Amino acid sequence: MTLVKETPPVAPPADAAPARRRRPAVLRWTALRLVALAVLLAAWQAIVAAGVWPRVLVPSPAEVWSAFVEASTVHDGVRGYSGYLLGEHLAVSLRRIGIGTGYAALTGIPLGLLIGVVKPVAVVLEPAVTFLRTLPPLAYLSLLVIWFGIDESPKIWLLVVAALPPIAAATAAAVRGVPGDLVEAARTLGSGPVTLLLSVRLPAALPEILTGVRIGLGVAYTSVVAAETVNGVPGIGGMIRDAQRYNQTDVVIAGIIAIGLSGILLDALFRGLERVTVPWRGRR
Amino acid sequence: MSPAEPDIRLRDVTVRYGPPRNPVTAVADASLTVRPGEFVVLVGPSGCGKTTLLRLVAGLEQPAAGTVEVRRATGVVFQTPRLFPWRTVGGNLSFALARNGVARAERPARVAELLSLVGLPGMAGRRTWELSGGQQQRVAIARALATEPQILLMDEPFAALDAFTRERLQEEVRTLAASTGTTVLFVTHSAEEAVLLGSRVLVMAAGPGRIVDEMTVPLPRAAATDTAALRGDPRFAALRAELAAVTRAATAA
Repeated sequence: MTLVKETPPVAPPADAAPARRRRPAVLRWTALRLVALAVLLAAWQAIVAAGVWPRVLVPSPAEVWSAFVEASTVHDGVRGYSGYLLGEHLAVSLRRIGIGTGYAALTGIPLGLLIGVVKPVAVVLEPAVTFLRTLPPLAYLSLLVIWFGIDESPKIWLLVVAALPPIAAATAAAVRGVPGDLVEAARTLGSGPVTLLLSVRLPAALPEILTGVRIGLGVAYTSVVAAETVNGVPGIGGMIRDAQRYNQTDVVIAGIIAIGLSGILLDALFRGLERVTVPWRGRR
Repeated sequence: MSPAEPDIRLRDVTVRYGPPRNPVTAVADASLTVRPGEFVVLVGPSGCGKTTLLRLVAGLEQPAAGTVEVRRATGVVFQTPRLFPWRTVGGNLSFALARNGVARAERPARVAELLSLVGLPGMAGRRTWELSGGQQQRVAIARALATEPQILLMDEPFAALDAFTRERLQEEVRTLAASTGTTVLFVTHSAEEAVLLGSRVLVMAAGPGRIVDEMTVPLPRAAATDTAALRGDPRFAALRAELAAVTRAATAA
C-alpha cells in the first residue's frame, strides 16, 4: 500500500492522453492571441493618450469602436454611413469579390490547364499572365472605367483581372507537377489524352488549384478598395473613400478592420472547404 | 490463335536514354520470346535493364533499334501501387473497368469480385491511404486485372513489402497465374522469388543491359501447389543456389 501511495499521480491512460491535452493547447493559443490583441489595443491607447499625433490622424480605440457602432446602426434618422449600414457595405463588396473570383476561377482554371498541358499556349500566354499579375489594379482601373463606365461591371472586371493570374498560374504549375507515375499508370489502364487530362491530371492537381483560387480570392480582397474608388457606394471600399474625403479617420480604420476580419473569416471557411473537398491533399 | 504463336517477342532490341549525342545504352540487342501461359522472370542486378524490357513490352518505352511485338492485352503492376488518392479503393477499380468499356451498372459487382479475388472483400469504400502497403499493392493488382489482361507485367511488385506480406502475395500471384492461365512477365532482383514464381528465368547483366543466361524451373506449377512446402523442398534450394551462382557470375563478368 505504501508503495502505491508514494507514487505521484499517474498520467491518464495512453489512449485518453491526446484528447485531454489538445483542449488546453487550443485554449492556450487562443489566450495568447487575446493577450497580444489586448497589448496592441493598450499600446494604441497609450500613443493616443500621449498626444504624439493629432486626434484627427490617430483616433482612439474607443472612437473607432463608436464609429464602428454608428456605421452599423440607424442613429438620429441616419442609416449607417453614406446611407448604408456597415454590414450592407461589406455585403456588397463581398458579393463583388465572390462574383469576381468566381469568374476568375471559371476562366483561370481552364486557361491554367491549357498553359500547363499545351506547350505553344504556354509560350504565348504565360508571359501575358505574368504581366497581368505584376500590374497594380489601380493601373488598369482607369482603362476599365473608360471601357465599362462607372457602374457594376468595371468593378467586377477589375476583380476578375486581379484574381485570374494567380489562379491560372497555380493551375498551370499544379498540372505540370502531377506525378508522372500516376499518369503512366492511367495510360497502362487504357486512358486516352482527354481522360488523362480530366480524370487524372485535373483531380491530381485539384488541391493546388484550390489553393490558387484561395490566393485569387485574397488578391480580389486586397483589390476591392481600388475597385470601389469610383462610385463605390455602397461598398466597403467606397465607404472608406468617402470617409477619407471628410477626414473621418475613425471610419476609415473601422472599415479597414471590417475588411481584415471578414478576410480572415473567409480564408478560414475556404480552408475548411478545401479539407472537405480534397481530403487526398498530400496523400499518395 | 495457335498456342505456338508467342505472346511477346522482342528481337534485337536496343534502348538508349539521354541526349542523342551522349546516350546511355540501357539495353543492347536483347531478344526474348514469351509463349502463352508462361511465367517468365527477368532477374538481375539493378541497372541491368530488366525494368526497361518490361516497360518496352508495356509500351511505355520505344526501342532505338529492333522490334517489339506484343500480341495480346497487357496489364501492369508497378513497384509502388500508384493508386489514385482522389478515388476510393472501389473508384480505382471502376476507373480501370470504365477504360475497359464495362457499363456503369455492372461496375459495382465487378469491383466486389475483383476485391474478393485479391483478398480485400468489402474494402471498396475505403480511402487508399487508409490501407497498408501490402493492401495497396493488392488493390494495384486488382486494378491491373480489371482490364482483363491476357499478359500481366509485374515490375518488382513485392520489393517494398515486408517479408511476411511478400510471401503471401507471391503465393497468391502464383496461384492466380496458374488458375487463370495468364501469361506473366515478372521482374525481380531476388533469386528466391525468381525460382519460386517463374517457369522460366532469364538472367540479365548490366553495362550495357543484356540477357546472358536462361534457366527452366522444373518445379510443380499447379494452382494447388503448397508453396510453403515448396520453399522447404531441397530441389527448390538447389535451383535457387544455382540461379544465385549464375547471377553472380553474370554480374562479375
